[in-house]
Amino acid sequence: MKLIEVKNLSFSYSETEVLRDVSFEVEGGAFLAIVGPNGAGKSTLINLLCGLLKSDSGIIKIDGKPIGSYSTKALSAKIAVVRQEFTPVFGFSVVETVMMSRTTHYGQLGFETETDRQIVNEALQVTDTDRFASRLLSNLSGGERQRVFIARAFAQDTPILLLDEPTSFLDYKHQVGIYDLLKKAQNERQKTILTVTHDINLAAQYADIALLIASDNSYVYGPTMEVFSQKQIEKFFDTKIFTADIGQGKFFLPLGKLAKDAGAVQNEQ
Amino acid sequence: MAQLLTKKKLFFQIILAVVVLILVVLCCSLIGTKQISLRTVFALTEQPNTINPDYEIFFHVRLPRIFLACIVGAALACSGVVFQAILRNPLADPYILGISSGAGLGTIIAIISGLSLGILGNSPIAIFAFIGAMGTIWLVWFIGRLAGKSNVTGLLLAGVVVNAFFSAVIMFLTSIAKSQQIYATIFWLMGNITEERIFVLWMSAGLTTSGIVALFYISPQLNALSFGADDARSMGIDTSRTQLIGFAVAALITSIAVCLSGLIGFVGLIVPHGVRLVFGPDHRRLIPLSAITGAIFLAAADTLARTIVAPAQLPVGIVTAIAGGPFFLLLLIRYTRKIGWINK
Amino acid sequence: MKKWLYLLSAVIIWVIIGFLIFDFLPAQSRPAARTKQEISRIISTAPNITEILFALGLEETIAGVTSDSTYPASAARKPNIGNFWQPDIEAIIAAKPDLVVTLGFPLYPQQQNLADRLRRFSYNSLTVFHTENLSDLFDTIEKIGTVTQRQQQANDLAADIKQKLERIEVLVAEKENVRVLYVVQRNPLRVAGRNTFINEMIELAGGENAIGATIQKYPPISTEQLITCNTDVIIEPTMGQEKSELLEQSGLQYWSRFENVPAVKNKRIYIVADDAISQLGPRVAEGVETIARCLKPKLFEK
Repeated sequence: MKLIEVKNLSFSYSETEVLRDVSFEVEGGAFLAIVGPNGAGKSTLINLLCGLLKSDSGIIKIDGKPIGSYSTKALSAKIAVVRQEFTPVFGFSVVETVMMSRTTHYGQLGFETETDRQIVNEALQVTDTDRFASRLLSNLSGGERQRVFIARAFAQDTPILLLDEPTSFLDYKHQVGIYDLLKKAQNERQKTILTVTHDINLAAQYADIALLIASDNSYVYGPTMEVFSQKQIEKFFDTKIFTADIGQGKFFLPLGKLAKDAGAVQNEQ
Repeated sequence: MAQLLTKKKLFFQIILAVVVLILVVLCCSLIGTKQISLRTVFALTEQPNTINPDYEIFFHVRLPRIFLACIVGAALACSGVVFQAILRNPLADPYILGISSGAGLGTIIAIISGLSLGILGNSPIAIFAFIGAMGTIWLVWFIGRLAGKSNVTGLLLAGVVVNAFFSAVIMFLTSIAKSQQIYATIFWLMGNITEERIFVLWMSAGLTTSGIVALFYISPQLNALSFGADDARSMGIDTSRTQLIGFAVAALITSIAVCLSGLIGFVGLIVPHGVRLVFGPDHRRLIPLSAITGAIFLAAADTLARTIVAPAQLPVGIVTAIAGGPFFLLLLIRYTRKIGWINK
Repeated sequence: MKKWLYLLSAVIIWVIIGFLIFDFLPAQSRPAARTKQEISRIISTAPNITEILFALGLEETIAGVTSDSTYPASAARKPNIGNFWQPDIEAIIAAKPDLVVTLGFPLYPQQQNLADRLRRFSYNSLTVFHTENLSDLFDTIEKIGTVTQRQQQANDLAADIKQKLERIEVLVAEKENVRVLYVVQRNPLRVAGRNTFINEMIELAGGENAIGATIQKYPPISTEQLITCNTDVIIEPTMGQEKSELLEQSGLQYWSRFENVPAVKNKRIYIVADDAISQLGPRVAEGVETIARCLKPKLFEK
């Protein structure tokens, strides 16, 4: 049984059709990258998968049961979400923020249990955020803050982790750091990771499977190296791309000015 | 683990706050236009049939009044906390969603129609103000829901629209009212604390306290809501239920406060921020401590109001405004600076 | 879930206990006449009540008045218990009164509120009707007289007032009624309407209110109405003791812009001291006379 099953999913925002007839399945323990141009519906897909939006037609099944049959609390035990970083107006500290994902497990009077504290501790250590556990969220840098939100998602202790562009505003070091973290979570804890990203290169290095969606609602799904071919990427992103092999993977470079230069390097398919 | 709130810590902080409250109540009850002291209050009278005026004043005038101030202060402060959490807006106060204009409308209708009937002996003005307050906030809620569930902007806009409309109606009624009626309306709305019967005190204390406990029960959810309804949902919080409970309870205790004492401003705005500054934003601590601090604040403000221009009295709303205005300004500056820093 | 059940049951129990233990109806007021003790300390919460008390010879018993009780002069020396709009209950209690006289609802909710609170503490509180017309005034005098056992003085006072009023009535009946506008506020322009006691006084003084019937007691009127009402006389009250000549000058100047109004054309604009007119008290006859002198001055020249 697949952990996540999506069949004939369609969704429109008023008149605009965002997703049409999308189907794919994800096994437990997989690392899926969702890529595509702006407006293709990637964030919408994440919101549908975590139950925030309801599809117009089609089925989403989590762990064999339709997503609509889960209560909010039950779904939160299966799926944790990390959105683009956000700071609340009121000043919570790092450890308070991470502890919040344990709210559904609190005792009668609304206080955390020993188990909760252990889990949160672990999450902080794994994400290397325990050294600023007492600091206010607003006093951290973007990269540190994003790691805190990932720690919070880890503390939720779910088999599935959805991330919506978690590295958008981060520098290289932090981007790699976060992907390493996610990979570790996949390998050591058998978490299933689905991440929306603009960065094809990092996705190619870390993800096992990929979903490539286009603005016209066509899509390709499969092992990363198959999906990320030069032809497909050029077609879906409507841009000239330069590809080359590197080690066991590939990298991709969008050709902007270079494409216009006479000596643009040709490469083999 | 650094910084986390524990049951023990909270318990001690609450006990400490309650002790301070009791001391403040005692002090305030001994201050007033007539000098009294604990000795004279309890002194036996010479003849059995004469009244000891100090005793009268202490037990029948001051204590009931101070208790009422405590109840109203606690209700307004907690309600402010909740609205700030639900609307995710540090500038929210209990009246932001139309309660003030609703209460005002109820008041002026009661005064103009010249009703003299009340329920259970309560003045009709209070009843109408309560109905006006509760009715308006539910109107705002329903209009806001048309904009979509969990949509905070919808609520705020609905509040603005309803406020504007009701204010217009109030202005119209004011223009055709007699001058004494206008005075009476303004007087009532400016916020006044007087002694109430013990039955009324008992009931309002009970309802307000249980409201505060209910809000304490949903405090962890309110914490999560600070990160946005989407994030809270993903963490397993039933945001609709939390918002509904928070809204309903806050509306109820605010309407009770307004019905008892008119519109007293700034308590619901300043006290939550003051407590947050000192104790942090965790609602499990914020709710009970704001309640107690609100009680202390209003009891003190009321004592000031009734002594500073004795034997006349200032409406207590003026004292809270004078204390609150500058504080509000400071708050505005601090928060815009903070937000500006984040967006850079 | 359990904690909500506990909370709900606690609330229900609390409410039931409240209904069982406490008196949820307000204390019934004891009719003043049944009190056995002699009334030796009285508190008045309105200036016209103070005047009545003085007129009934109760000066000695007055234990407290509001700060706006300025007539007669000795009233100002009595202990202060706040003002008409904000009576101070602590001062009232401290004065240990046997009787507190207040005006009634619905026009004065703070007075009614005060009376209720005092009754709850078992104070003897008498509420007289808001004196809004002449019969109210006589009613009030009679009530106070009965309660303080000064019925004789009350009757005398009432008779005296009636006599004075009759005299004026007879005097002014000679000529026909003069149209008059009693202006209470200039900006916006507001006048005393037909259902006020000022109107009653105007009619007793041989005048007729230039304004017709209105819903409000003191309606704001437009310039158009001012011109079409064709008033012969304009009377404006003043609160202070300033030189009336200066005030009359400034009054004439102010009204001169409405040159088509007969009152302005004939320079019949009068500024009068208002306390005998604006509150209905024992000096009502003086108030009526003041108005009559403005309306038909020639009758008073002898």
